[in-house]
Amino acid sequence: MRLHDPTLMTGLLDGELNGWRRWYVRRHASKCPVCALEYRQQQHARRLLAANPPNISMSGSDDFFWSQIKNEIQSRPASAVDVPTPSLSFGDWLRQRELALATVAATIVALLAITWLVSQHRAHPQFAHAQVEHVQTAIPNTVATPFRSDDDVTVIWVSGLPWTPDMTEMQTLYAQPTI
Amino acid sequence: MRWLALILLVVLSAPVHAASYKVLLIRASNENGATDESLKDIETKLKKVFGYNHYRPLGLQRMPAQINTRRRLDLGEGFVTFITTKGLKDNQYDVELEWFSGKLLISKQTLKLPENRYVFIKGPEVGADWIVLALTILE
Repeated sequence: MRLHDPTLMTGLLDGELNGWRRWYVRRHASKCPVCALEYRQQQHARRLLAANPPNISMSGSDDFFWSQIKNEIQSRPASAVDVPTPSLSFGDWLRQRELALATVAATIVALLAITWLVSQHRAHPQFAHAQVEHVQTAIPNTVATPFRSDDDVTVIWVSGLPWTPDMTEMQTLYAQPTI
Repeated sequence: MRWLALILLVVLSAPVHAASYKVLLIRASNENGATDESLKDIETKLKKVFGYNHYRPLGLQRMPAQINTRRRLDLGEGFVTFITTKGLKDNQYDVELEWFSGKLLISKQTLKLPENRYVFIKGPEVGADWIVLALTILE
């Protein structure tokens, strides 16, 4: 915000400021003695004007007044009128597009976040299954077959192992150096 | 100085990523019995793969997944595993798993094991039941 800008005090008193600009100008006016004085002076002037409204009286009736205005307009010849084009500073341009700028900033942040997530995913891909690179068995006539289940489970099926009726017999059998 | 202390506190209290192996020795059977709590999360997978109705844990061991280490895990009932963590690449652990029963090597496998994925190994048949080994790495 430009320092000690009387137009901002005017805008604040007129209720033209919204959102964070209103909050910021009010905060500045509460802390800056120059702007606080400007604010009080403008407020005082407004109160004076409000307390003493201009007493305007018309000589004739309202209809007569407006008929005079209409005659005046119709009597004037048509002529081109130059409409002044306002020249906006970059600051004015930005103020007119606060919402658009916020949207652009949010979009950029979202794009950066998505890019980061994608790069993270590529750097550390999520694997659905464990991979069996090599498998072997040592007991004769046995074979180990790896496969993937429908879930995220990898299975190694060792078949051909000797059958035993209970755990005790199994431990006895497997305690031998060879079968 | 206070800021430095605060930054040090935040850095030191940051969680350290420590993965660990979970190895389960399981007996699959059709005899009646409630499934143990330790198998609740994989009971459905076990049923889908092996088809038995009930699964009972015979042994459970955990150990940290440290690179270039070989650890022996005694699972009970004469079963022992040797787990060698050879490396970690792209969030997959290079693991060598040896499964012994007594003096006999049931199977030896080299795996690329991502975190939170299970490997089931179907082992010996005892009576009408099967002995199964389950291995995973948990975050």
